[in-house]
Amino acid sequence: MSNATQSDALLSPEFLAQLERMELVSRKIFRGRMKGERRSPRKGHSVEFADFRNYVPGDDLRFIDWNTYARLDRLFLKIFFEEEDLRFYSLIDASASMSFGTPSKLRYAQQLAAALGFIGLIRGDRVRIETLGQRQTRSPAYRGRQNVWRMQEQLLAIEPDQTTSLTTGVKNFCIRNPGKGIVVVISDLMDKEGYESAFKYLLSRQMDIYVIHVLSAEELDPEIKGDLRLVDCEDDDVAEITASAPLLKRYQKTLAAFVEGAREFCARRGMNYLLANNQVPVEQLISGYLRRRGLVR
Amino acid sequence: MTTINMLAPWQWALLAVIPAVIVLLYFLKLKRQPLEVPSTYLWHKSIEDLHVNSIWQRLRRNILLFLQLLFIGILAFAFLRPGWRGTELTGDRFIFLIDNSASMSATDVEPTRLDEAKRRVSELINQMATGDVAMIVSFSDAARVDQLFTDNRRELLRGLEAIRPTNRKTLLGEALRVAAGLANPGQSAFEISDTQVAEPLPATVYIFSDGRFPSVEGFSLGNLEPKFVPIGDDVAPNVAITAFSTRRREDQADQLQAFARLTNTGVEPVAAQVELYRDEELLDADQVELDAGDAGGVVFDLGEVQTGVLKLRTSSGGALAVDDEAWTVIDPPTQAKILFVTPGNDALELAFTTESAEEMAEVDIVEPGYLETDEYRARTAEGYYALVVYDQCQPKELPPANTLFIGTLPPGQTWTAGEPVEAPQIIDVETAHPLMQLIDLGDVKFAETRVLEVPSGGTSLIDSHVGPMFAIAPRGPYEDAVLAAEIYGVDADGERFANTDWPLRLSFPVFVLNAIRYFGDVGTATAGNTVQPGETVHLRSATSADSLAVRTPSGKQVSLGRETSETFSFSGTDELGVYLIEEPDQPVRRFAVNLFDPPESDIAKTDDVQIGYVEVAGEASWEGARQELWKVLLMGALVVLCVEWYIYNRRVYL
Repeated sequence: MSNATQSDALLSPEFLAQLERMELVSRKIFRGRMKGERRSPRKGHSVEFADFRNYVPGDDLRFIDWNTYARLDRLFLKIFFEEEDLRFYSLIDASASMSFGTPSKLRYAQQLAAALGFIGLIRGDRVRIETLGQRQTRSPAYRGRQNVWRMQEQLLAIEPDQTTSLTTGVKNFCIRNPGKGIVVVISDLMDKEGYESAFKYLLSRQMDIYVIHVLSAEELDPEIKGDLRLVDCEDDDVAEITASAPLLKRYQKTLAAFVEGAREFCARRGMNYLLANNQVPVEQLISGYLRRRGLVR
Repeated sequence: MTTINMLAPWQWALLAVIPAVIVLLYFLKLKRQPLEVPSTYLWHKSIEDLHVNSIWQRLRRNILLFLQLLFIGILAFAFLRPGWRGTELTGDRFIFLIDNSASMSATDVEPTRLDEAKRRVSELINQMATGDVAMIVSFSDAARVDQLFTDNRRELLRGLEAIRPTNRKTLLGEALRVAAGLANPGQSAFEISDTQVAEPLPATVYIFSDGRFPSVEGFSLGNLEPKFVPIGDDVAPNVAITAFSTRRREDQADQLQAFARLTNTGVEPVAAQVELYRDEELLDADQVELDAGDAGGVVFDLGEVQTGVLKLRTSSGGALAVDDEAWTVIDPPTQAKILFVTPGNDALELAFTTESAEEMAEVDIVEPGYLETDEYRARTAEGYYALVVYDQCQPKELPPANTLFIGTLPPGQTWTAGEPVEAPQIIDVETAHPLMQLIDLGDVKFAETRVLEVPSGGTSLIDSHVGPMFAIAPRGPYEDAVLAAEIYGVDADGERFANTDWPLRLSFPVFVLNAIRYFGDVGTATAGNTVQPGETVHLRSATSADSLAVRTPSGKQVSLGRETSETFSFSGTDELGVYLIEEPDQPVRRFAVNLFDPPESDIAKTDDVQIGYVEVAGEASWEGARQELWKVLLMGALVVLCVEWYIYNRRVYL
């Protein structure tokens, strides 16, 4: 029951109601395993006609277009679009750095993943929640409205204690999930090794990639004073600073350069990048920004 | 560059501890407050931008520490008193002779020559090593020891600071004699052979002056090693008023004229503007064209002016200001009243009626019978006459006035004389006395004379080979002069005869004028004459009061007591300007003090001076003693401290 309470906290009923009217949109068309509500590149047995092709022995006689045969005296096979389900992955960064902020960046990521996952489940998509530091075992794929609670439970069980780097985490994710689909990476991208190689792995899989860069207010606009010894919560790295107006200005500059760098990296490679401030409510982010970006409609 | 260690070893040790403490405190202070952040990734990147290279980065990180250490370092260096040796002090005993005469007030050296001299001396004092002793003497026409030999620099600097400029002229001799006191101890000649009374202590004499003084004659430097430091410019423009007086016109006695003489001691021709003020009101102005080194006069017609103070000012005075103003006093013409009692004395009568004598005195010539009249008694009693001359006669009692007896003695027992002596030979004349000034009796013969017993307090003015012939002695506020020889006598047969040929000599009318001037109080300083600064003025009182007040130009009142029976001495004539003589119930009298000293006004410095037989060349260039660096260092330290404080507060960098 406690989980239910938590999930209530994760997404409000009003928001859920709002989400029910949305669906996930992929700019690419992916092949699915089960027949879903989407067209598949694979031709199949839907009602929507796609093409003709010559009959070769062994083809299912049920699909021969007899009308054409009557007119042309040649055997043609009718091909139909296959309707398939969509694979939707939420890849959450659960490193220690995500525990900062109010609400914490992880909580924010959980809410985002829950919201998007909920849309996918409603529309019969195949939804999988993964974290970067996850072991080799795959997470269960959820499908159908009945799995909303299970998905939320899995989300709430994520703790910000993983130490895997962004690159390793994405690599493992790619190994675990060979299929294509939409992947939404929710991370603060604060990895000293950089995010570029990690995204290259995803790009090689030709997935529809969304990067939601979650930053907390104290990262976007730090309010610090005096002589400080900044300790990195992940690797205990130390930076000794004396907070001053010029230094803060330089930090803002560095941050802006960092964000701009990520945005440009993504834009050049057909990825969608979105900077999310944890002070902006998830509802607003989904119904506003993500809708405009075309992830949901 | 050399250094002077200012600290003892233990003080250095103490100083050395400070950097260690700073480093210690710095690391203690740098306990930064830990703060956990999501990632130091961006912070490192921000810092990296500031830390282009690692050395600079480290320097920046510890910039406050470095600045503090630098500050201490500069301080320590300053304690070493680094500097460049300039003019070196030689020897271990120094005598600084500082000229504070009028010409040292010249402003051709900023701010004045005297200040420059004091600055240089202070530099030398600061350069003195431990154990060195020095003495400071300031000199103008008199020498003044401002600080006796001491090794206490503070005392020396205090003595130096106390030296004030004067308006006097310059004479080096006395200062050198003061300086020589210890270096050249006197010789005592009491025993058979000369013995030295003390060990001579050689010393170096630094003479700081513009060199405008007469060479010192008859002085042997002995153990003194002179160094002359000339101060001033070789060419200093100056226009001086070297004379200023008033005179009645020859043709119209009631008209007054003022005469002034200006001297241009510079090397450029000058058109000097002069302004004449009477009682501080502008009366007239004129311009005098003066070639280089030339002097010129200017005359102002004053018209009928009875009284007042005239001031002459030149506005193109050049570098020396004290000779740009001169004062003179116009007093109402006063004539001394003289009573001449004689049965007949053509020579004296003639001398009393010369033009000069008539200008100065109004002489009543009477027969001895007048002495018996009431008028005589009344007039002498009220002090009407300044001088009564008794020729060949004697009053019953001495009047309340100055008296001159010729051929007779004053009544009473005070004055006595011996029997007449024939053909006395004059062997000495006291020309220092105002009565006998400019009088030469070498060609004067007397037939006979009596020999005077000079009363106590009296002075013999003419001495013959047998004794005093002419003497003067005080009597209360008055003086009695007695010439024991007659000018005209009456022999046993009642015949008049000339006892001397003095009336035929030039010195006779001069003597009479001296007598009028001296006894009649005419032509002294109070009658419009000017005095040079520092000169002693002998003032006479019109009354028998015991004190007299003199008000200086700056308004200071000096009360004088009667010094001798007849005069008051006033020596505080250091200020230039008009002095007032104030006596109760008497009109205020005045006299002026002016520089009027052409050599002193010629302010171009000389490059060498003559002392005895030694020519002392001026130190060609003054190296500013020692170029001290510690002030600059302290300023630098202050700047470092300010920068440190700024960085600490602004935290511009890490």
